[in-house]
Amino acid sequence: MEVPKRFQAGWEGMSQVERSVAATLLGLVFVLFLAVIGGVLTPAYFVFLLGLGGMYALLSLGLNAQWGFTGLINFSVAAFFGIGAYGTALMTADNSPIAGGFSPITGLIVALIVTAVIAVLIGIPTLSLRDDYLAIATLGLAEVVRLIALNQDSWTNGSAGVRGIPPFFDGWPILDGLPRALPGFRIELVPGSPLFLETPFYTAMLNLLIVGTFIGITYFALRRAHRAPWGRLLRTIRADEDLAKALGKNTYWYKMQAFVLGCLVMALAGVFYAHLNRYVAPGTLDPITTFYVWVAVMLGGSGSNRGALLGGFVIVAIREGTRAIDFGALPLEAAPLRLLVIGLLIILVMRFRPQGILPPQRELIWPGVVDDAPSQPDKAVRDTRGANNE
Amino acid sequence: MPPFEFLASPLLGYLANGLVYSSIIVLGGIGLSLVYSIGGFANFAHGDTMTVGAYAAFVTYGVVGAISGGVLGLPVGFFVALLAGIAVAVVVAVLTELVIYKPIDLDSIGLLITSIGVAFVYRAIIRMGFGADFRQYDIPTLRPIEWLIPYGVRITRHDVVIVLSALLLVGGLHVLLQYTDFGRKMRAMADNPDLARVSGIRTGRVKLWTWVIGAGLAGAGGVFLGLYNQLTPRMGFSLLLVVFAAVILGGIGSVYGAMLGGIVIGMVNQFMPALPQLGRLFPIIPRECDLPLVTSQCGIPIGIEYANAVAFLIMVAVLIIRPNGIMGEEN
Repeated sequence: MEVPKRFQAGWEGMSQVERSVAATLLGLVFVLFLAVIGGVLTPAYFVFLLGLGGMYALLSLGLNAQWGFTGLINFSVAAFFGIGAYGTALMTADNSPIAGGFSPITGLIVALIVTAVIAVLIGIPTLSLRDDYLAIATLGLAEVVRLIALNQDSWTNGSAGVRGIPPFFDGWPILDGLPRALPGFRIELVPGSPLFLETPFYTAMLNLLIVGTFIGITYFALRRAHRAPWGRLLRTIRADEDLAKALGKNTYWYKMQAFVLGCLVMALAGVFYAHLNRYVAPGTLDPITTFYVWVAVMLGGSGSNRGALLGGFVIVAIREGTRAIDFGALPLEAAPLRLLVIGLLIILVMRFRPQGILPPQRELIWPGVVDDAPSQPDKAVRDTRGANNE
Repeated sequence: MPPFEFLASPLLGYLANGLVYSSIIVLGGIGLSLVYSIGGFANFAHGDTMTVGAYAAFVTYGVVGAISGGVLGLPVGFFVALLAGIAVAVVVAVLTELVIYKPIDLDSIGLLITSIGVAFVYRAIIRMGFGADFRQYDIPTLRPIEWLIPYGVRITRHDVVIVLSALLLVGGLHVLLQYTDFGRKMRAMADNPDLARVSGIRTGRVKLWTWVIGAGLAGAGGVFLGLYNQLTPRMGFSLLLVVFAAVILGGIGSVYGAMLGGIVIGMVNQFMPALPQLGRLFPIIPRECDLPLVTSQCGIPIGIEYANAVAFLIMVAVLIIRPNGIMGEEN
């Protein structure tokens, strides 16, 4: 039997949209590469940006597990990101008011355990709620978490934040001292603008390695999970929860699993952020982060993991693009412009392409399942079948 | 010696403050509830509609502030600015409905997410125009009303204006809903849009008027919030969750529930300072305690910085116990 075209790997198996996205991305990377060569962007900062994009991609993968696959409207992304960041920061940092001084691996494990506990605590009252109530309740509870981080000075240092967080590879056998041990290079590809490949660059590369590993594990774990019967059940819940109940499934329990899983992925992004930034403050839990991630997921395509990856990098493009305005000639501030761009993107995506740029194809979720079923079929059943088996 | 001195208590003061704060939340909550029941989605841009009203009043007051004369410590120019704030909020909300929400063919969740985008656009534009700094109407701050101070009540004549205006607006809405033909149409549509439509009600028109009323009240609430506190681009969005808590508490979609919920949440917010000292304030509770998890004055050890957190927890608790709110219909 011939493999359907859309399951083939490589350029041949891509849809028109995928090709244009891939081409745009390649073009963008090329432009950035030129900027690096030309000395506009330092190599260390370029790699740092890639790492940041990876962090948003990770957050988007987490939200996608909740919203894209299971249909849970979680507006507490920033809270779980913050819990992950604070979890590891409070375990490892010098001025941590609680523990401090533990290794980052301990920090990671504690952060994930704390996240799981809080996710269950938030999930218990909210996951049985209707969709829109779930949205409001999670946003409210995220605000409670933020207020605690801001006001409980004896736990979190309050608005002063937690400083002195070690890098993630602190205390590891080889990787710890690697950025300082590697020889520095000075490459001059374009005369007059040398590139320095020194300690900051190697540190950024190591960070990229961490986030890359996190993303790799998450991406393949999620893909595996969603192709399993478990994932099929989640998709059924998203499409029609009553149907799943009628089949005798405890949908509340499955929603809880998906919720906790997604929150753990978000906390992983928070752990990465804490060791990247080496400083965590209550601003980390600002609800705007939640909506950045929502934009990333919707732009990429709800339910599509590749879309979530793409969305994460688009967010960094917006953040850094608007930051560039600050240095430019335009009489505009970056912060409101960023807000405007995010707001307009949400409206435009919902208006013109609610399925996102890269809607699910290989995730075995068909648009008909992802979007609410139309009130009347626009095609005969036989046509739909034919299209799927093409 | 003031008469009725035995009444004097910090509780009376909290009650008065609660009344003022509740008025603002009720004004915001009614619009949110109306749009939910007739527009069919939770409008996250509602808080920022309040901000739009506040800033429109700010600009108008800057122009007409010189008009002399005044009531209760407020110049006539302020009331002109109030009307302008209401009008601008209405125009902005109706335009948004026509240009953005109406053409979008999505379910209530899609509209909910869209409204977050709308909220960001409002806030971004305000911030571009006015900066992120705190602003104030150019009205001198008043001292608390003298003869109320002995009772522990410290409210200004501005606060009285806020409460009276809110009462007037809410009373007007009550008359509109209960005693006019239009109100009956609105209630019919909130009950069952399809049935209302086949009964010959022009549902499109009713929906548009719902936006007018909801945004108008939100605009007024925003202007008063600016008078009560200060103006910042974030003011509405920060209040939104509290307003949601009030509306859900009362039963989302119910106008009278929104009023009740607004009063409860506003009161809870202002009674926060009472919580750590319950023993001192209420004669029923022993004055001093030596128990774990309780303050030395038999109260709950929680600071006023958690006022919003308490409101959200109440909201979540209500959602669990009574998912349709206090006044919500069982279905």
